[in-house]
Amino acid sequence: MSVIERLKTMATKSPWIYRINAGSCNGCDVEMATCALIPRYDVERLGCQYCGSPRHADIVLISGPLTRRVLDATLRVFDEIPDPKVTVAVGVCPISGGIFRESYAVLAPIDQYFPVDVNVPGCPPRPQAIIEGIAQAVQIWRERL
Amino acid sequence: MNFLRLFARNLREGPYTEAFPFAPAPTAKRFRGKIEFDAETCEGCRLCERVCPAGAIKMERTAEGMTFDCWHDTCVFCGNCEFHCPTKSIHQTADWHLAHRQEDKYRMVEHGLIPFQVCTECGSKGLATAPAAGSANPPLTAEEFQHVKSLCPKCRGKFMRARKTKAKA
Ligand code: SF4
Ligand code: SF4
Ligand code: SF4
Repeated sequence: MSVIERLKTMATKSPWIYRINAGSCNGCDVEMATCALIPRYDVERLGCQYCGSPRHADIVLISGPLTRRVLDATLRVFDEIPDPKVTVAVGVCPISGGIFRESYAVLAPIDQYFPVDVNVPGCPPRPQAIIEGIAQAVQIWRERL
Repeated sequence: MNFLRLFARNLREGPYTEAFPFAPAPTAKRFRGKIEFDAETCEGCRLCERVCPAGAIKMERTAEGMTFDCWHDTCVFCGNCEFHCPTKSIHQTADWHLAHRQEDKYRMVEHGLIPFQVCTECGSKGLATAPAAGSANPPLTAEEFQHVKSLCPKCRGKFMRARKTKAKA
């Protein structure tokens, strides 16, 4: 096994997660934080870890309906994340706009701007549903790497 | 009081981790999850469509009848539709397994159809909705219900009026 392959097998065991709040009401963010901070859900069992810098991330969770004001910032942060990455839309806001749908102030659905791979509907989705979504994202990420 | 019990248990046993996703996660019986629709008992009043704050429900008249569609990807699980539905034909299940890949985004729909039928009395075409019989006094029996269901709106009105006069006499 070459060094590169061995590194790849090692890397697929522990994807790092980065969160982007694109104008979320904070409901989804709280649930995402809950997944990692509360021992009851503990997403780190899947080998995942939240990281503070987009440059270290493998999986990106986006919440919120993408308000006009955050579009530029969000795109810039998203581009900082190295490829290959997997994008998960958390909550109905990024998927369709949810309760903010058809508002003049939001640009949802975000798949007009970001290549979304997994959707986790809910308002907010319960932590277990987010973990389910992350598990799907890890699968996709293994295929991509 | 439930939280006091939880609190006492956490004090005794300490925090714990759920086995999910390797085992089923505990879900409350009253958990407000995915919408389910039953075309058999629906009155076709379209209240659910009106009260839905997220615009997740769409009912439409087509050549086959009245279609019902609820898109889970924009439903905010508020329960407004179930609360206002006179027959509880629409209700929230405890199912929350909704995470899906992007290619399935527009397949996350609960679909139902209330078909057209031919009235057994006058032979004209009408929707096979359940009769709006909430205020009928005395309440409709099962046979009466089935009979009214097979009628068109005009004949339903006639039947109900005749029944009312009979009940008064
Ligand atoms: S999906 Fe609901 S909880 Fe999540 S950001 Fe949107 S409004 Fe808030
Ligand atoms: S589901 Fe309920 S509220 Fe909606 S149209 Fe049918 S009877 Fe009316
Ligand atoms: S639960 Fe709320 S958002 Fe979902 S379909 Fe019913 S009324 Fe609409």
